[in-house]
Amino acid sequence: MEYEVVIGLEVHAELSTESKIYCSCKNAFGGMVNAQVCPICLGMPGTLPTLNKQVVDYAILMGHATNCKINNITKQDRKNYMYPDLPKAYQISQYDIPICEHGYVDFMLNGEKKRVGITRIHIEEDAGKLIHDEKFSGSLVDFNRCGVPLIEIVSEPDIRSSEEAKAYLETIKSILQYLDISDCKMQEGSLRCDVNVSIMPKGSKEFGTRCEMKNVNTFSGAVRAIEYEIARQIELVESGGTVEQQTRRWDDAKGVSVLLRSKEDAQDYRYFPEPDLRAIYVTEEHVAELKAQIPELPNQKIERYMKDCQLPQIEATLLAENIQKSKFFEACLAIGGVSPRSISNWILGDISKTLNERNCEIDELALQPTALIEMIKLAEAKTISSTAAKTVLEEIIDCADADVAAIVKEKGLAQISDTSALEGVVEQVLADNAKAVEDYHNGKTNVLGFLVGQCMRLSKGKGNPAVLRELLEKKI
Amino acid sequence: MELYKKTAAELAEMLAAGSCTATEIVEDIYAQIDAVEGQVDAYLTLCREDALAQAAEIDRRRAAGEKLPPLAGVPIAVKDNICTEGVSTTCASKMLENFVPPYSATVVDKLRQAGLITIGKVNMDEFAMGSSCENSHFKKTKNPHDLTRVPGGSSGGSAAALAACEATLALGSDTGGSIRQPAAFCGVVGLKPTYGAVSRYGLVAFASSLDQIGPMGRSCEDVAMLLSVITSKDELDATSTDCAHRDDYRAYLDQDVAGMRVGLPKEYFGEGVSQEVQSAVLAAADTYRRLGAEVVEVSIPSTAHALSAYYIISSAEASSNLARFDGVKYGYRAKEYESLTDMYVNSRTEGFGDEVKRRIMLGTYVLSSGYFDAYYKKGKAFQRQLCCEFEQAFAQCDFLITPTVPTTAFKLGENVDDPVAMYKSDICTVTVNIAGLPALSMPCGKDAAGLPIGMQLIGPKFGEDKLLSAGHAYEKATGWHYALPQIG
Amino acid sequence: MDIDIRHIAKLANLKIEEKDFARYQKQMQDIIAMVESLPEQKDFDQRPDPADAMELREDIVKPSMPREKLLAGAPQVEAGCVVVPKTVSE
Repeated sequence: MEYEVVIGLEVHAELSTESKIYCSCKNAFGGMVNAQVCPICLGMPGTLPTLNKQVVDYAILMGHATNCKINNITKQDRKNYMYPDLPKAYQISQYDIPICEHGYVDFMLNGEKKRVGITRIHIEEDAGKLIHDEKFSGSLVDFNRCGVPLIEIVSEPDIRSSEEAKAYLETIKSILQYLDISDCKMQEGSLRCDVNVSIMPKGSKEFGTRCEMKNVNTFSGAVRAIEYEIARQIELVESGGTVEQQTRRWDDAKGVSVLLRSKEDAQDYRYFPEPDLRAIYVTEEHVAELKAQIPELPNQKIERYMKDCQLPQIEATLLAENIQKSKFFEACLAIGGVSPRSISNWILGDISKTLNERNCEIDELALQPTALIEMIKLAEAKTISSTAAKTVLEEIIDCADADVAAIVKEKGLAQISDTSALEGVVEQVLADNAKAVEDYHNGKTNVLGFLVGQCMRLSKGKGNPAVLRELLEKKI
Repeated sequence: MELYKKTAAELAEMLAAGSCTATEIVEDIYAQIDAVEGQVDAYLTLCREDALAQAAEIDRRRAAGEKLPPLAGVPIAVKDNICTEGVSTTCASKMLENFVPPYSATVVDKLRQAGLITIGKVNMDEFAMGSSCENSHFKKTKNPHDLTRVPGGSSGGSAAALAACEATLALGSDTGGSIRQPAAFCGVVGLKPTYGAVSRYGLVAFASSLDQIGPMGRSCEDVAMLLSVITSKDELDATSTDCAHRDDYRAYLDQDVAGMRVGLPKEYFGEGVSQEVQSAVLAAADTYRRLGAEVVEVSIPSTAHALSAYYIISSAEASSNLARFDGVKYGYRAKEYESLTDMYVNSRTEGFGDEVKRRIMLGTYVLSSGYFDAYYKKGKAFQRQLCCEFEQAFAQCDFLITPTVPTTAFKLGENVDDPVAMYKSDICTVTVNIAGLPALSMPCGKDAAGLPIGMQLIGPKFGEDKLLSAGHAYEKATGWHYALPQIG
Repeated sequence: MDIDIRHIAKLANLKIEEKDFARYQKQMQDIIAMVESLPEQKDFDQRPDPADAMELREDIVKPSMPREKLLAGAPQVEAGCVVVPKTVSE
């Protein structure tokens, strides 16, 4: 039997505000354990929360960017459960009136436009961290992360494959980055997701029972978790079983999910309105002001890159989805003088290869747009060969004040296009390769390539291959 | 000079005139504590050393010619659910027996800035749940007017300390009547301010949407002076507001009651209210009539249901507020446990008393899956209804007058086994919390046994000035002043 | 109406002795009975009221509290952290 997969994602993004959501402690990752905490973070008796205005603004920005309806009169609710990393024994979150709802995001996948609905976006606080270390008899609790502001972005069950899930996550991540409201550092846990998966027979209208997977901390982990879960559910059904509603925990290191709790043990969160906070009211004017602050988003950039820069869709997408690459690309465009396609080719080609090797982003390189443009200009003008251009890139990629002309000169990379300077080389090669010359005259014209290569070698790579070919054809 | 018997207003005058020192006052108060505390049991912690040091500092500053706030040097007792940095804050619970907060409540900071001297922390019902002070883990406070009777609760320690002249002023907290009911039982004055008028930051929460810290004293003037110190909008409490905040409530004390309309809500004079209490309160209404006020009958039809709504809302919030006491970060941790859940359950089961557990259970139940709409939501809907009824009443009158409690102080142990009977003593006070209104309780006579009877004046939101001036007018008209009973 | 005391106790993380179940049942039922007499409020709008809105806090960092002071009263502290029985992270 063929199955259709139904996926919904809940993305938790830590917001990059200065202070925490309910107190004035610094919102920062890392540092000494329990160093960024106060009585409010620890939920000490008598302490009260006060809501950070910036958190509300950031959530509304995300709502605008994902085409949501903004609930400008809203409130907060308590989600009650006990765990050592949750000092108040409840999380201040939002229940029935999220700050944003009924939105969607569009993205391109395999040449087709895909739309995923956004059910809701709400604001809430992060919990602390448990440290498990064999050295200690118990688990240690670090409360630094308590009160770090989060938005939870809940998608509709509109996603149909792990590939779509990944593309959706990349889209959400790039929007967060363009809005500059989250660091989106997966390795620091500033972007996490819970994955809901169900399967149904192909063509069916009725969704199957879903399972939720928690602790998915990377996009590749999300893909693996989804695929694992699809396989698990199909195997269950094919062997005559039924999928039961469960919450499972994804173990990325082992590549498996394990049962956390079944439906019977479902948590009863006893939500009720947070009595320590009054209503949140954002004026219509402020909602509109925030909308006006939304920068050009990846989708709009893709369209612009395709239309104005004549980039193919895949390249436009690759550039637009990565904010650092997009910024670099646009800085290069602003300098101008070369074709946008060449810039794109270099960024997505050799430069991206280096980024992958080093596992870093383009803005972490010393490379300057001016240097790249200089280099591309020389290459486009055939002043340097493509091989020489790669050599130049190696020089400028880690140098913030590189002088491209000086590098070309110093390394002697300039191409020789002057026929008079190359005539000697050509004559020498023709003389040394009598056999090839004979073959050529016997109709094996493809030996010309070999002869051009010999000329290049003799000119130590500096001869302009086009000029050499022309000379060879004339003199042979 | 018997400084311990004086009102805060009298002491303020003497201190300003230089006819006594803060040190003399504080020493006198501790002498009275030494004399009667063994019988009253109002205090859980005394801050003798710190209080004397603070008094000396105030005396030094005053002698140096510094202009100090009026209450600088006046002793105050603080309820033990209000956090005091460096001084244990137990909420009268085993759970917080060793809890010393590393921060102070906003009101405590304000007391210190105003130069008030904290004498000690006073007893209460555990986590402010109770009407008799019998739910304290540590001791049972007695009513100074009759040591076999309860002082009321939950701010029983505050009221008893005032009644026994073991403090000049006191802070209490009021969620369903916890300031007013003990004030009535002990014959002192207590004000539950408008919700939001006083910062709750540092008040260990019972029911966040109902809790308010309030001033207590032996006269309306004293209460007005203390209210002026503690009221304010606080950036640490998002529910606090500064609507109509008065810098000096004493300045409003002499507002004339002639021409005011006093409402008698008929629902507060019905079944269950003792004859003696009814007569005393109606006599007080007559006093207002004599002073030129018009007395009108009004109606708050929903009063009868207020108790139910109160128990839903307060227990639901309490169950969540008290979930943080889990033995992890502060407070009691059980000695024996195998697992995390074990540690939670054992710490909470051993650390909380029966009444607290009962309310946590009730609150957990009303919030649990499937019941929220039937209970909590219904309670909140009722709250809106009740607010409307009060608004309608205040369209017809300036303030309401009712009994504070249907009876006078009951005997220790009398109601402990019947929570519903105990809860019924809150019937006149809970409506005020649900509607977020200010209300004052003050003495208006005694019953045949010589026990104080309290009347309650209820005002519209931020009408504290009206209530205090009406109370002050009553005191003047009746020539009333507090008399210390013979203790023991 | 029956109230599942065992279930509520589990949610509340409390241990209620079986011998006390009946007493709890009775006392909670009495209160619930009181509650059930509450009149139904038709068309109650639960949405928050803008007139009841709070002022939001500016996003400005203030100093935290030294952890030694903050954790001084914690039941068990090691390496600057409070310690709890070993548990699997969720």
